[in-house]
Amino acid sequence: MATESAIHNNRLQSQLIGKWWMPAIALSLGGLYLAMQFSSTEGAGRESFFNVAHPWSVYVFMSSLVSLLVFGLVRHATLWRLGKETPESVFANLPHRFKNVFRLGVAQDKVRRDRYAAVMHWSISSSIVVLTLVTAQVAIEDDTPLNFLHGPYYLFFSFYGDLFGLIGLVGVGMAMWRRYFVDFSRIRWDERPEDHLIIVGLGLVLLSGFFVEAFRIEVTELTQYPDWAKWSFVSYVLANFFEIFAMSDNQILWSHSAMWWVHIVLAFSWLALIVFTRLDHLFFAPINAFLLRTDSPGRLSTIPNIEEQEIFGVGYIQDFSWKQLFELDACVRCGRCTDVCPANLAGQPLSPMHLIQDLKGHLASVGPSIQKTGNEGGDTRSVSPISMVGEVIQDETLWACRTCGACVQECPVMIEHVPTIVDMRRFLVMDEARLPQTAQAALQNIEMRGHPWSGTALERTTWMDGLGDVPIFDGTQDYLYWVGCSGSLVERNLPITKAVFRLLKEAGSSFGVLGQEETCNGDPARRLGNEYLYQILAEQLIGTFKEKNVQKVITNCPHCFNTFKNEYPQFDGHFEVFHHTEFLNSQLQSGALKVQYDLPETVTYHDSCYLGRINGVYDAPRQILDFVPGANIQEMQRNMSKGLCCGAGGGNMWQEEVGERRVNHVRSEEAIATGASKVISNCPFCIQMFEDGVPAMQPEEVGRIEPFDVAEILELAVFGNQDNLEEEITEV
Amino acid sequence: MHFVVCAKQIPDPETPPSAFKIDESTNTVVPAQGFQPVLSQYDGIAAEAALQIKEALGDEAKITVLSVGAESAQAAIKQVLAMGADEGVLLQDDAFEGGDSHTTAKVLAAAISNLGDVDAVFCGRQAADWDVGQVGLLVAEALGWPAAILAKGVEISDGSMKTTRVMSDGFETVSQALPAVVTVSNEFGEPRYPKLQQIMQAAKKTVTTMTHGELGLDPSEVGSSGARLKLEKLYIPQSDSQVEIIDGETPEEQATNLIAKLVADKVL
Repeated sequence: MATESAIHNNRLQSQLIGKWWMPAIALSLGGLYLAMQFSSTEGAGRESFFNVAHPWSVYVFMSSLVSLLVFGLVRHATLWRLGKETPESVFANLPHRFKNVFRLGVAQDKVRRDRYAAVMHWSISSSIVVLTLVTAQVAIEDDTPLNFLHGPYYLFFSFYGDLFGLIGLVGVGMAMWRRYFVDFSRIRWDERPEDHLIIVGLGLVLLSGFFVEAFRIEVTELTQYPDWAKWSFVSYVLANFFEIFAMSDNQILWSHSAMWWVHIVLAFSWLALIVFTRLDHLFFAPINAFLLRTDSPGRLSTIPNIEEQEIFGVGYIQDFSWKQLFELDACVRCGRCTDVCPANLAGQPLSPMHLIQDLKGHLASVGPSIQKTGNEGGDTRSVSPISMVGEVIQDETLWACRTCGACVQECPVMIEHVPTIVDMRRFLVMDEARLPQTAQAALQNIEMRGHPWSGTALERTTWMDGLGDVPIFDGTQDYLYWVGCSGSLVERNLPITKAVFRLLKEAGSSFGVLGQEETCNGDPARRLGNEYLYQILAEQLIGTFKEKNVQKVITNCPHCFNTFKNEYPQFDGHFEVFHHTEFLNSQLQSGALKVQYDLPETVTYHDSCYLGRINGVYDAPRQILDFVPGANIQEMQRNMSKGLCCGAGGGNMWQEEVGERRVNHVRSEEAIATGASKVISNCPFCIQMFEDGVPAMQPEEVGRIEPFDVAEILELAVFGNQDNLEEEITEV
Repeated sequence: MHFVVCAKQIPDPETPPSAFKIDESTNTVVPAQGFQPVLSQYDGIAAEAALQIKEALGDEAKITVLSVGAESAQAAIKQVLAMGADEGVLLQDDAFEGGDSHTTAKVLAAAISNLGDVDAVFCGRQAADWDVGQVGLLVAEALGWPAAILAKGVEISDGSMKTTRVMSDGFETVSQALPAVVTVSNEFGEPRYPKLQQIMQAAKKTVTTMTHGELGLDPSEVGSSGARLKLEKLYIPQSDSQVEIIDGETPEEQATNLIAKLVADKVL
């Protein structure tokens, strides 16, 4: 039951994080109510441009700013326009897109995944929004026939203006604390002078604003209307403090005027940073939320009519889609992606943030000449003096990616790194035929033998030995049990396949297998960049499925699961797909499967990327473990959507790792650190990675953590230990 | 320059032992179900050697792939075409069946003579099915050309071929006048991964087929009629192993007991 409460706690936490800004709103509403009740509001108000010589100058600043913003946008947009059409229309599925703008752009869901940054960022952003509204109201009051800044509303206006000014300062303080006083490395991986300018600048804008107000209050309200002055509570305190200096009215007025100019110049200069710095995310982040794909993150785009293409994948910056180019400009260099990247954690040559920044730099440096050459009708592919794939982005960087989606999950401005990386892999493999020897061997093995496991001595039917009658799928059964290459051709995974088989049989499910007729569904080929091979395999297998009247599929492997579920619909293959943990969980819930044996152990659960993060199946496997009497789950530090890849994804199962450490060693260490006796997963690749990584991190065999599949644990709980199992089988 | 690469299609060497079957009545290998025949790995390396030389010559060379085999051997030829070879010829004839290294070499040599202007022939060091390793040399013999075997490096310049050969105790560099034959060993390196563009081009190319008549060969001198080697018996060897665990408290004691046992069994 420990897990259920863990899941519950997790949800509760995220809900609480989601609602933490409620107090700010409550405080504001409370202020409004009090203002309404306040007795001496008669005549409350102020002169908008009190003591200011040339108030029209604000409009000069304003129009300069707007021109600058337009200039910046046009400058960026000409570069984005170099890109190709997006694979799916960005106007498809509009309600979903607007929901994303609200959820990811306005409510900043992704930003909130780092709680400190959540408070800091919301403080700053809400303060900017509210203070912009405050300023706009002053302009409306002054320059339109509308007059509303008086009476109770004026007091309330003074109150929330000060409140959000203060909130903004808190945010700036938190930002400065992280940047200057604690060892918080990720924001310094690519630190630039503009970063200091933004944060210090904003602090000064807010402070100067309070100073202006305090000087005005000192002259117009402090003695005359002290009850009103208190509503501007920050400036009120500040004004009282200034009283210590006992300045003459003239001195105060002079200071007020000077400070007004400082404030205006600072504020507009700061806003101009939007054009020149990463502050542009103010607009780009919500727009990118709108542009974010509405289908599954586990789906890579297809190359339509692949046989008619001249260049495969993306080897030149202008071959990305315009959305991919737009994303480059949205990046704020926060480092969250790199911080969670399994390759980066293991000291391997990939940092998603630097990859995006390098591409952005490349676009800025060659984009204008590409555009010029294109306009003149020249060959745009010969413009760049350096090759994008190979020099700007090195091959080894692209091969280090696990396609685990952790970067995409974390990115607060909704950049999708994985498709961009795979697009460049496609170029490497199909256009240049430049790939690591081991990856090549896996691909060639798929081409020649229909599976990536070169050198296996097993057959696709070996696992059936000793299981008696294994039903072959003939279209009359409800489910196809898809074993997969790893489930049948890798020794370690045979017990998992057998366990799933026994459990399906025990539950009385109507199912069959394909046996010799199974063949690779293409996932490794697609993730390694050989889209052509993938399409051949996918079309073949979809044909087989249709011919055999397959409707529902149960898979062993999350990669097969993802491919069938999310990618086959691109080729008109529509099947109802279940991972074995989902199906077995449903059988436990319905009572078709019953557990009889205890497993009094502390175990830890590893979310595979393609079941967890990419397909959102976190609960089913944990619920199965909850059914096992005695089993107690001790979660790893990184779990659920923040889970760390085992290192095998994206075809890295078949590659030599380049770098300081191996990813499976890092993850094995994390599993060992829980003190659990078993590390349980749901993916044949993860299990293999643990089988390899655990002994390296825990050389002593006694007390070593054992890698298990969820199905193997459930098998123990349903049938008892292996001895029981063998007896039962001989009885059958 | 015109190079020839000899390519053989063989049963997949990675067929699992459990799926490998022999028909002892006909002395033939039963094709394993679900396992497609493949290009012999050494022939892919021979093709790589030819392609590297072609590139070194600034693409001023043509590469023709020859294969003696059944219709299915088209796939092996296409694979080499996808790597970058220019033309493919399948030497397919019922009369060629049941031959040995000698008759295979005879057919290949006839085809090479038929092409006319061939400067060099690249073969794999041996086919990965029977592992005999004679065809390359026999082709050279039939053509009357010099040959170098087990090459780990090949260069062609000024009308001669320089090869670095793998010896049991090191390497040997030899030079021979063109036309010449070379058999390439696995030490040369891995064959390349074909570019998709080339795979598509290869798919569009037609592989010409030639029979004994077109090659000017008499059916009696090729295939089983011309073979000098007779296959007496083909069988899967039975391997029996008995395991005995040697007792002993300490490693020293175990070693002593092991030696005693080996001496008793007359192994030592």
